[in-house]
Amino acid sequence: MKWPFLLLAIGVTYQVAGQVDTSLYNSLQIDEVVVREEATGLSINTKSATLDLNISRTELKKAACCNLSESFETNPSIDVSFTDAVTGTKQIQLFGLAGKYAQIQVEMTPLVRGLLANSGLSFIPGTWVQSIQLTKGIGAVNNGPESMTGQINVEILKPEDLVDAAEAPDSEGRGNVLLNGYANQGGRFEFNEAYGRRLNDRWMVASLGHFSGRQQATDVNGDGFMDNPLGYQVNGMLRARYFGQNGWEGLYTFHALEDVKEGGQWTGSGAFPLGTGAADIWRSYMKQGRLAFTSKMGWVNPDHPDQSVGTILQLYSQTMNGFMGVDKPSSSPTDLQGIQNGLMAQVLFRQGWGNWAQTSALLFSRDLYSILLSHPSLSGLYDWGEQNIGLSTEWTWNPNPSFTGVLGARYDYNSVASHQFSPRLHLRWAPKEGHTLRVVAGRGFRNALPLTEEWGRFASNRQVRYAHNPIYSGWVWGGTTDSREIAWNAGLSYSWNFEWNYMPGSLQLDAHSTQFGQAVIQDYYTPGQRYLYPQFASGGSTSPLSSNTLGAALTYQVNKRTEMRLAYRFQDLRTMYLDETGFIAQNLALPTPFVPKHRWMAHGSHDFKGGWTVDATLQRYGEQPIPGTDPASYPALEMAPAFNLLSGQIRKEWKGGDVYLGVENALNVMQVNPIDGAVHPVTGAALLPTDPIFQTQFDATRIWGPIFGRMVYLGTNIVL
Amino acid sequence: MKNRFLAMLLMALPTLAFGQKKVEITFQTDGVCGMCEKRIEKALLGLEGVWTADWNQETHATFVVFNPKRVSEMDLHNTVAGVGHDTQKVKAKDEDYAKVHACCKYREEEVVSAHHGGL
Repeated sequence: MKWPFLLLAIGVTYQVAGQVDTSLYNSLQIDEVVVREEATGLSINTKSATLDLNISRTELKKAACCNLSESFETNPSIDVSFTDAVTGTKQIQLFGLAGKYAQIQVEMTPLVRGLLANSGLSFIPGTWVQSIQLTKGIGAVNNGPESMTGQINVEILKPEDLVDAAEAPDSEGRGNVLLNGYANQGGRFEFNEAYGRRLNDRWMVASLGHFSGRQQATDVNGDGFMDNPLGYQVNGMLRARYFGQNGWEGLYTFHALEDVKEGGQWTGSGAFPLGTGAADIWRSYMKQGRLAFTSKMGWVNPDHPDQSVGTILQLYSQTMNGFMGVDKPSSSPTDLQGIQNGLMAQVLFRQGWGNWAQTSALLFSRDLYSILLSHPSLSGLYDWGEQNIGLSTEWTWNPNPSFTGVLGARYDYNSVASHQFSPRLHLRWAPKEGHTLRVVAGRGFRNALPLTEEWGRFASNRQVRYAHNPIYSGWVWGGTTDSREIAWNAGLSYSWNFEWNYMPGSLQLDAHSTQFGQAVIQDYYTPGQRYLYPQFASGGSTSPLSSNTLGAALTYQVNKRTEMRLAYRFQDLRTMYLDETGFIAQNLALPTPFVPKHRWMAHGSHDFKGGWTVDATLQRYGEQPIPGTDPASYPALEMAPAFNLLSGQIRKEWKGGDVYLGVENALNVMQVNPIDGAVHPVTGAALLPTDPIFQTQFDATRIWGPIFGRMVYLGTNIVL
Repeated sequence: MKNRFLAMLLMALPTLAFGQKKVEITFQTDGVCGMCEKRIEKALLGLEGVWTADWNQETHATFVVFNPKRVSEMDLHNTVAGVGHDTQKVKAKDEDYAKVHACCKYREEEVVSAHHGGL
């Protein structure tokens, strides 16, 4: 026991024996063959006090492509949407709220955060993912304060996943090399690699590699803008795993990536006069990079497996450099140069006594930001540091198999957000076999970076202002208390696992509410303007941002080869805006843009003989509010029409891998004129940025549906 | 479009689920571990006409729901024996038994006791 505390004392701390990695220790003790359970695609853990959905590799294969932002396409809980029509950035929504309000972690460490918050999901290649745990409703308190709507934890392939696969008795030595190739009709290609090997009985190593890109531009709708940005991503991870004696284990990871995306108008589209050069058109460019090292060490007391200590140490450097606009000296494009250097250190201690268990953690994190931004309506260089010291404890009471109660609390001293106390409660009650009721309630906070995490929203000639009233200059760059966001989340859910006609099925009903005490509002309801300002719940009145959702999902294994899923969700999101006078007293509660009220999903898959699998997913997005363009009306709010997206895939599997052919957006649904001011309203000719119509109307952020129509893709996985 | 799709799905469902006559049966199959379970169930589910199959590692009970018009009871026994496991009606051939993994050698006293010792 001295060791862990010594580690703590020197601050070389890190994480998680109690959380994720203990299973590894357990598997060490069984020297017989461990049978690898073929988990079903989507499963709900009935024993957990939180509403956890596990998304396995089997399920991830159904997603068309390619990275984490797209791996939720067959999931009824998470929505995927574009932020704008030029950068190709996809973001997720949970309970209709942006993905930034869910704590997204990679093996309990941050990645989609800070300067990578806008597109970090695309930096986790789908083929690297071992599994995803999605928690609906506020997550475990020891994982950090930033969970507000829920938590998404991604487990990446570890050396032992690959080595165990190859060492399994029926594998014939295959499984420690995974290769993947993919290409689609939109010109996107991708290569992925995973390789693991055992060095000796204590050490295993793995390498994960990714290269993807798009070199061929398309302009299907003829508006002069590329449908998808060009660019590339090089991404690699080296991992080493140590299983020692006396309960020690370690996982060390080095991660490096570089991602470049170039979009905007395209001289090769044929829409512009001959001789139009790169300096005459509207372009976007973004280069992001990351270097990180993570050390995780854990110790499980061999005499008392209920006792464990874990430490995590992560050091990282993230960069974001780009521009949007006309890149020549006489114009003033939006230009961004950002660096974030940081570290996180965490010690976790877990102890169980019979019906009781506690997990406590000490977390320290530090981020140094330097952001240089120039934009026609705001410019500046901002340097600041953010430190957070957090102490958390969580107590679990499990008096009998049908009840679990978890009470947790954390206290954080954050140099930006000041003192924060976040209590959390999770209850699970299973009155009868197969029936589970859960209650969740808790609080979380985060510090927003409203300009960088919404980078794609600069693809517009809207003027960016801190608030309506210039006198009231809310300070929402990040790094001050005005960029703080605080929310309470509460939820109730019921799961019924039934067997009907010998086949398993489940019904899940849930209601969740998220109410913000403080939020950074992005207001697009005045044409030509983008207002940013902090909003507070004043005197217990309506919260500045609120989400109330009801969900229902039914899954049923129709027969041994056929599975189906039906889901519906109702989501009511409201944002409190300042009215034109800009005074807080006159707030307007309006529907939050880009969130449909009604969402439906139907999914089916069938395995045929001989290793053939077919699956199809139909998604329906109800009408959604979007910012309008009528300057005479305030608030300018329009409804975008409802639409359906149908996707499907056919896959043939062999012992040594598979080949898959699929289609996205099979119904060929497209948003007409996704970019305002891009074409002449009468002639339909593409306009250059110097055109007065372009100058007054250009806006690529009113995106509610697909830009690219039907897309066919082909891919293969090879297991060696 | 969506309504048509849903309607098709709902119409197809009862046919898929109830369009076949089903008979339940339980018989004993020898085996020792989770790997055996996977092998036995996979072999049974591979048969057309078998609706569901479940082998219990503790009791060795093999529960099968099948359509007697498409597969006979003896087919079930022969299939399980064909992947190396003795059932109460059919003993696996030695060459099939030889193919099961070392940890699944249920005819060997040491292997069986090793599994029980582990519990």
